[in-house]
Formats: sequence, C-alpha cells, structure tokens
Amino acid sequence: MLMCCLLLLPLKVAAQDSASIYTAQLLQPPNDSVRTQAIGRLAALRIPATFPLLIAINDKKLYLLDHKAVTVDSKPTGEGTYRLYSLYPDNILLTNSSGQPLLLPLSALQTVDIPRADRLQLAGIAPLLNLFSNDAQKRILAYTQLKNTGDSATLSILQAALAKESNADARRTGKDVLYAARLYSATSTAAAKAYIDSIGDNWSDNAPVLLRNYAKAGFLNQETAHYAAAQAISLEKRYDSLQRIQNFFSGLSLGSILILIALGLSIVYGLAGIINMAHGEFMMIGAYTTYCTQVFFTHTLGIPQTDLFFLAALPLSFMIAGAMGWILERLVIRHLYAKPLESLLATWGVSLILIQTARLLFGDLTAVKTPQLLSGGWQVSPHLTLPYNRIFIIVLTLLMVVFTYLMLYRSRLGLQIRAVTQNRQMSACLGIETRRVASITFFIGSGLAGLAGCAITLIGNVVPDMGQTYIVDSFLVVVTGGVGKLAGTIFSGLGIGFFTKISESFFQAVYGKVFILVFIMLFMQYKPKGLFPDKGRVAED
Amino acid sequence: MKTKNNPLYYILFIAIFAILLPAGYLSGLLSVNTISVWGRYFCFAIAALGIDLIWGYTGILSMCQAFFFCLGSYGIAMHLLLKKTVAAGAVLPDFMAWNKIDTLPLFWQPFHSFGWSLALCLLIPALFAFVIGFVLFRSRIKGVYMAIITQALTLAMWLIFLRNETNLGGTNGLTDFNTLLGYSLSSSSVKLALYMISFAVLCAAYFFCYRITNSKFGKVLQAIRDSESRISYAAYKVVDYKLAVFVVAALLAAVGGMLYLPQTGIITPGRMDVKASVEMVMWVALGGRGNLKGAVLGALLVNFLYSICTSLFPDSWLFILGFLFVITVLYFDKGFMGLLESIKQRFSPTRFKTPQTTH
Repeated sequence: MLMCCLLLLPLKVAAQDSASIYTAQLLQPPNDSVRTQAIGRLAALRIPATFPLLIAINDKKLYLLDHKAVTVDSKPTGEGTYRLYSLYPDNILLTNSSGQPLLLPLSALQTVDIPRADRLQLAGIAPLLNLFSNDAQKRILAYTQLKNTGDSATLSILQAALAKESNADARRTGKDVLYAARLYSATSTAAAKAYIDSIGDNWSDNAPVLLRNYAKAGFLNQETAHYAAAQAISLEKRYDSLQRIQNFFSGLSLGSILILIALGLSIVYGLAGIINMAHGEFMMIGAYTTYCTQVFFTHTLGIPQTDLFFLAALPLSFMIAGAMGWILERLVIRHLYAKPLESLLATWGVSLILIQTARLLFGDLTAVKTPQLLSGGWQVSPHLTLPYNRIFIIVLTLLMVVFTYLMLYRSRLGLQIRAVTQNRQMSACLGIETRRVASITFFIGSGLAGLAGCAITLIGNVVPDMGQTYIVDSFLVVVTGGVGKLAGTIFSGLGIGFFTKISESFFQAVYGKVFILVFIMLFMQYKPKGLFPDKGRVAED
Repeated sequence: MKTKNNPLYYILFIAIFAILLPAGYLSGLLSVNTISVWGRYFCFAIAALGIDLIWGYTGILSMCQAFFFCLGSYGIAMHLLLKKTVAAGAVLPDFMAWNKIDTLPLFWQPFHSFGWSLALCLLIPALFAFVIGFVLFRSRIKGVYMAIITQALTLAMWLIFLRNETNLGGTNGLTDFNTLLGYSLSSSSVKLALYMISFAVLCAAYFFCYRITNSKFGKVLQAIRDSESRISYAAYKVVDYKLAVFVVAALLAAVGGMLYLPQTGIITPGRMDVKASVEMVMWVALGGRGNLKGAVLGALLVNFLYSICTSLFPDSWLFILGFLFVITVLYFDKGFMGLLESIKQRFSPTRFKTPQTTH
C-alpha cells in the first residue's frame, strides 16, 4: 500500500499540475474548443480534488467571484442570499473577515456558462462525481452504482470519498463496496479473512447476501468460502435477535399508549361504574389541542421551528380534555350512575356529537409536526433504532402511572376515590362528598386521555375519529385488567401490547387482533373479574 | 302484568304498510324506490325485535347483532353472485378473478344451491351465537363486560371481512346481482313482492316474539333481567335461557339480513362496524326497550329520519343522532313508546292504573 502510494506520488503531483492548468483554461478559455478540451481532460484525469468543480459544472452552479470559481448551496438562506464554497484547489465554505459565512445574492456573482455539449462529457464519470455530492442520498446511490468495479483507480477515488464521508449510512454502503472489491481481489487467505471480518463489522443491509455470494463463487479456496458463509449466518442471527428487540420495543410502546388511555378509563369506570364511550373522544380533544397550540405558536405568535409548542401542549391538552370531561359529567353522566348500559349509549351519543364537531371545525385530516427534539431515533446498533418519540411516550406513560399511583394511594383524594369506588352509599354516609369526588375523578380521567391524545400526535395523524381506533382496545385492557385496578391496567395494557406485536410477527395484523380477542375470551373463562379480582365481601355484587 | 292490548296500533300499522303504501305505489303516487326503502326498514325492524328480546327483555346488551345481520346478508349475496357468475359462463366471481384466485374457495361451494344458502344463512349465525354465548354466559360475563366483549368481537369480525384474503369482497363487499330464483331484482314487481314478503316476515317475527315474551320462557327472561341471582337461586338454569334467547336474537338478525340484501343489492363490512352495531341498539332504545312495538317503531323511525336528514342536511345527521341518544337516555327512559304511554296516561280517565314497568 505504502509502496504503491510512493510510486504514485510523483505521478500525482504531475497530474495535480496539469489539473491546475486545465482548471485555469476552463475558467478563462481563449476560445470554446480549449474549454471543451479542458473539461474532457479533467474528466479523464479523475482527480478527486477537481470533482467539486466538475459537480458545479454538471449542476450548472458554477460562478465567478473575483475571478475565482465558486458554487452555492442548493437552497438560499432566509433573505435570498446563498452560502458560497470555493471549488479548486480546495473546497471550503467562504467566510467574511469576522469568520461568519459569507452570504451573497446570485446577482453579485458572475455566472459561467458551459454549453450542454461540454457538460455531456461528464456523463461518463457521473457516479464518481456523485460520490462528492452534497446530498447523502445521491452519494449512497453512487456507491451502489460502483458495486462491481474492480479497477484500482476507481477504488482509490472511492477511498478518497469515504475519507470525507460524513453520513453514517453512506459510509456503511461505501465501505461495503470497497471491502467487497478488495475481498474479490484478495490473494491470500489471511487477507480475505480480514476483509470478510471487515464486512461483518461494517454490517450493511447487503452484507449477508454479499458474503453468501462470495461463499458460493468459491474464490481463492474452500476455507475462505466456509469462513464467509459462517460470517453470513452469524450476521443473520444477530439481525434476527435485534429484530426481536425491535418488536419488543414496539410492543412496549403500543402497550404504553394503551395504558395511557386505559388509565383514565379504568379510574372513571371503577368509580362511576359506567362505560364512557366518549373517552376516546377526549383523546381526540387532546390531540386537537396540541394541533391548535402548534397553529397558535407558528401563525399567531409567529415563532417558527420551535419545540416550545409541545411543552405548552402537554399541560393544555390535559386541562382542556379534563374540563370537557368535567362538563360531560355535570351534564349527562351525573344522572346515570345507577344505569351502566344506558350511560354507555348516552356517552356514545356524546362521542358522535364531538366527532362531528371536530370534523366541522378542522376538516378530515390534520397533522402535528413532530418537535425537532423528538424526531429521529437512538441508534443502538446498525440495525436497531429506537425512535425518540416512542421513547418519549413510554417515559410519559411511566410518569403518569406514578402520578396516578400517588394520587390514588398516597393522597386524601385518592382515599376518597377508592372509598366511593367500593361503596358509594356508605362513603356518602361517612361524609364524603361523592358528587365532588366523581367530578374530580372525571376531570383527571379525561385529562389523562387528553394527554394520551397529545402523545399520539407524535406517531400519527390527527383525525376526528381517532378515538374510535383505540377505544375498543382500551376497553379490552380495562376488562382484562379488572375495573379500577392500577396494577391490572398496567399488566393487561403491556400484555395486550406485547401480544399484539408478537402475534403480528406470526400472523398478519388483523388475525393477530382476532387471536388476542379469542385469548381474552378464554382468559375470562377462569378470571371473569380480571387479572386482580377483589377478594371477600367487596367482590359480591 | 299483562297489558291490555290495544288493537288500534296493529290496525293502523297494517293499514299503512300493507294497504296504503302499496296502493300509493300502484296508483303512481309513490316511486318504487320508496317502497323498496321501506322494505329495507322492515328488515331492520326484524333485527330490532331480536335486540329487544335479548336486551329489552333479558337485559343482555349484545353488540354483535350487526354481525349476525351481515352473516345473513353475506350468505344470500354469495348465492346471488354465484348464480350470476354461472349464468355468465364464468367460474369465479369478478372480484376473485381480480384478486388472482383460480379456484372457488371451499366455503363458497354450498352457496350454489338456494336451499343450502338459506339453511347456512340461519345455521352459521346460530352456531356463532351458540359458541359465543356459551363461552360468555358460562363464565358469567354480563352487563358492561358483555357489551364490550361482543363489541370487540364485532370489531374483529369487521376487520376480517375487510380483508381481501377472506374472499368476501373486502372493503367493497359483494354487489351487482341480477336475479333471485330467476326473477330480475331490478323489476319493480319483484321489488314490491320483496317488500310484501319483508312485511309479512316482520309481522310473523313480531307475533313470534310476542308469543315468546308472554310465555313462561319470556317471564323467566324478564326475571333474569330484573334479578339474575334470585332466579338462579330458584333453580332456573340461567345460562340455558340466556343462550336460547341469544340464538333466537341472532336468528332474527340473520333473517333481517337475508331479506335486506336483495332489496339493497349490496352488502359491505360497513354494515357491521362499531357505529352500525351501536346504532342498531339505539333503534330499540329510542323506540322503547322491553316493548316489542317500540323496537319496531324505533327501527322504522330512526331509519326514516336518517334518510330524510342525510338528504336535507347531511352534515348534521350525527348531531341529531347524538342528541337523540343523549336526550332519550336522560329523559325518555322508556323510549318513544314510553312517551306515548305516559301521554296517554295523563289524558285517560283511568290515570291511577299502575303503569307498565319496564325497569
């Protein structure tokens, strides 16, 4: 390698010199044919240092500033000005005297016109040029286009591009191509094994296929072929186990959404003994509150691109959904405490009204932009990314569970709520204001649903009937967990979440759902009162 | 607590629907579509009778009646579609050919024959109801739990029916039929005949339910509704009674579905989604539960209102329905019939007679 470099060095210096000459000819050509020739020569020389210049020509973004070649960003900054980059001999961002990026409008630059015929000379080395493009997607494509090249000149350019590579995905793809080419041209067993290991460490999507192909082709000798096959199998095994972790994580996040919704439902149901079919709509209200907060922040206050709105939306969605729940309790549910089935129908009517109101106000489909802080994910290993928004939902659920636990079991209000849940008349006799307790419980329960709605905007659209998607599932959580039981809700929420995701990997999603339902029905055969039934006299009707 | 039966209701009902409407059509005052639309409402009313039996009289809120209704509809639809396919000389219905299926699925085979189709349309819902009911009632699931689980079941079935792999037409459902037993479905005389048949079946179903509710069996059902534990202490096998009425209600829903299909010409899974299944219960609640007349009246009224509202002010139908739900439940516990009764009581000379209690 070193030898090779030393040998190339004088050659390279010579090439560099001629590149400078051609560049100068290109920028100030005495006539058109000289320019055509200069571009052709530069294309043939394939020197990475000239590539930025050639890319600028190819993209028609070549300008002159004080007789020096520059290019501009693809998009202007705010006021119609562009950032500038020098092109040759080095490719750097131009700065003004105070070290800030130099910003100029296009009118301040002198455009260099290169005819189309001249630009066409670059078509042959387009993949090579793209290796140095500013767009990571283009670079990845360029790397894959170079997959089957074995010639050393191209490979050294590839190496040069990799040295500058900043995007992790692009680097992985590029390394894959490079190692594969080296592997196929390796002459000793040890070198081949080393490259196989490198491919394994790099672990691109393509790696197992690549190694299998190498093993099948049986280059070099039997030993390396076996080694490659073994490496491929171990990669696939690792991939499967990562996939399992990903599934586990999805189950956890689905489960925590269900818990978040079912938490409020369970408290309300336990206390009032009524099924609140409009609970999903409080979630919808929470989601629309988040949407409105976003609109208010970006349009009315005029603060674009900020995560502040989400911070404000969290408490707001809790308060507004809670207030709506409180109103519903006052107007409708208060009159129906002794009639669970009737209240089911009445709240269904309320939910119809709420859905239609939302549809008239907001139309059919709106979406909340995910805060920048929560977009992207935590890349645990090459093939395992845990999205931040899901992690956030899990953490939020955790906090809410703790909050609910403290509220129910460590506060005076919680004691009263539990007392009313157990026996309304007796609590009233003992001086608990059952109506007030019921109102507060409704407020908290609906507020929790609103918070769930706020969280769900991170992973889905905001639509008027979004509550309906989750409501039956969350009722199943409540039924399986046992009414008004915190632990039951958590366990059954997580259980149903995991079960859904696991069964989805065996069957299709729909059959998974049916499977879960059958499972719940069978489960209820021997635990008709849920996971954690009351014991003793409380258990009687 | 037998109520004195006022024949006026029946006479009025039969006079309007068996004489006035057909006469209106024959004299050209009403279009054949109006007749057909009312025919469809009768089918809903038949299903509503079943809901009244299981919910109004037994106190079990079953949310899967819409599913049984659809099972009946789908059975007849499969038969009609196969007849059409065979008449056109093809082997497979169009949608299967589009889904790249080359042989007719096994469960479609029996639907070549009309007799088998009829039998299966009744047998399958009955079997479903029996299995579901057995599992649920045996573990003493009742009240709200029952409602939620049957609702979830309907949801699951809805999801299954939505899929193309189920080979029942997916989201688009089954549609585009032309003949039933050789009669063209688009001819107006067939539509009138279907209307009359639906009406006759509704009357028969009403009579059947009436006999049930006034029999000893019906009394046990009401006892279960009013106090399940007491009737079980009196050595009645509650599970058997519940199971029986659940199957009967499922059969009524299926019969409604079977008659419904040839009159609409399309069945989609949308008929059994969450909304549809709650709405079916709502017919009975609005009409007056625990009252067979109320169930019929509720189904007819709500659907009639629906067709008026959706054509006059389409955006507000859900508002109207929602408010109807809330107001009925809050203020008119016994529904429309209860309202009529209380008005009658106020103006009748015998106002001190104890009113009928429906709890």
